[in-house]
Amino acid sequence: MISVEGLTKRFGSKLAIDDLSFEVQPGRVTGFLGPNGSGKSTTMRCMVDLDRPQAGTVRFSGRCYKDIVDPVTSIGALLDASYVHPGRSARHHLEWLAISNHLDRTRVSEVLELVGLTEVAHRRVKTYSLGMKQRLGLAATMLGDPEVIILDEPANGLDPEGIRWMRDMLKYLAGQGRAVLVSSHQLSEIALMAEDLVVIGRGRLIAQEPARDFIARHTTTRVRVRSPQISDLVESLRGKGADVSPEEEPLTTDGVLVAGLNMATVGELAHQHGVILHELSEVTDSLEDAFLAVTKDDQEYRSGPSS
Amino acid sequence: MRAIIASEWLKARTVRSHWVLLAIAIAFPLVISTLVGIFNPDPQFMSYRELGSMTTGTGVVSLLLLTSLWVINLTSEFTHGTIRVTYAAVPARWKVIASKAVVGTAVTLVVMTVLFWSTFCVGALLLDRRGAPIIVDGWLGHTVGVWIALVALAVIVSWFGLSLGVIIKNSPVAIVVVLLWPLIIENLIALALTLSGIETARKWMPYQAAIQTVDNNPGLDGTLGRPWAHLYFAVFVLAIFAVGVVVDRRRDA
Repeated sequence: MISVEGLTKRFGSKLAIDDLSFEVQPGRVTGFLGPNGSGKSTTMRCMVDLDRPQAGTVRFSGRCYKDIVDPVTSIGALLDASYVHPGRSARHHLEWLAISNHLDRTRVSEVLELVGLTEVAHRRVKTYSLGMKQRLGLAATMLGDPEVIILDEPANGLDPEGIRWMRDMLKYLAGQGRAVLVSSHQLSEIALMAEDLVVIGRGRLIAQEPARDFIARHTTTRVRVRSPQISDLVESLRGKGADVSPEEEPLTTDGVLVAGLNMATVGELAHQHGVILHELSEVTDSLEDAFLAVTKDDQEYRSGPSS
Repeated sequence: MRAIIASEWLKARTVRSHWVLLAIAIAFPLVISTLVGIFNPDPQFMSYRELGSMTTGTGVVSLLLLTSLWVINLTSEFTHGTIRVTYAAVPARWKVIASKAVVGTAVTLVVMTVLFWSTFCVGALLLDRRGAPIIVDGWLGHTVGVWIALVALAVIVSWFGLSLGVIIKNSPVAIVVVLLWPLIIENLIALALTLSGIETARKWMPYQAAIQTVDNNPGLDGTLGRPWAHLYFAVFVLAIFAVGVVVDRRRDA
């Protein structure tokens, strides 16, 4: 288990992490979410003792990182896939890492096989694509067969096959009882693999809860209704206190979104008024919608209008 | 610690640019010695003292190239971010720096020693083939003394480069500072101290004091003699090394 308690990190006058506390449970994939500049990467660097926090502690099953002997065998961290000497081969990169932590070199071949880089292991890393570097980073993470895995944007540059492979792999590893903490901006991926979420904004904790609860708490479920007699139905829906809005995507003239009533009630109302229905379905907002709703006041960098 | 040294040794020998620098460091004195042996118009008048001096002179170039190698070996880790992978694997950062120093010391000792003897022997053999008699007189003993001093200096300078590399982190800047330290920085400090009334300031500039010992007459002209100048420079470098380790431990990787 990872326990972060009161972590505070300041860069000059900028407070990057502000008294941050959360826990990552073993046997689960925990998504670590936050807008750009929210402090996710800094938190991860503090966790593995690379950045020096002004206050707070990070413990792995009660131990500080610096007190762990041969940490590669306990904690696998992929902070940036580009942290490899471009002139060194993938095999040599993994070999020096293995030797430094008293690991057998045969383990290098095993993890290269695991990530599918055996054929190109002799090539210098500067010839690798970003996706290949990510695979190499994951190989380094798995080198010591660690019980804790920390990954910062591991899906960057991976092709669809690689993304699915990584997702299945992380779920499999968590299933073996390991604690997996993974940050990503690909919220659809997080939604598919993470059981728990830690959401931060401006260095502060916004939420820590199961992903399902987070989405349910921060989104609304609506009912999509399409009918050639939609105007007849809208009046009766509003009469029952429903919030009815025109459907935006796909843009139709015969469809509305209904909030405040469940699907069964809407169907019964339509039946009572003799309204023909072409579609009646439940629309649930995504993790992305929930995330944007929760972090709307904590976006450090806001995009301009797209057009 | 042995595992970390083995790891650093693997790192040092698995980057091609390191081998290129090493090859140039080795080739330079050998090429010069070969050219002198072949093309010297008057081999009869080329004394072994001159051959020894030439070996020493070209060895200084090798020393600087080797130092650059060890600086790059460290600073490239900062450049490419591999220092973060290294420090995550070995949280006791001083052990990483110390292991790099051990690897640098071992390689420098072997390379410089072999280099001096091979350079001298190549030149001597070529001159001998052209009719110059091999005379092992008292100058050889003197020259060997200079070589030993230069090998020791090479080791200390490699530590110096490593120490500055830890503090500066940037390859070009660290190399420039290491190269310019005895030529400009110490001269400026000595000048400032001399102008403020300390007449013997130059004698106490650590790098220059050590360089003086690879001269033909160490200990003369008010300079520190062997091995005191080396010891003095080594203590100075170890102090810089300690500063580097402390700075590195406190800052973010």
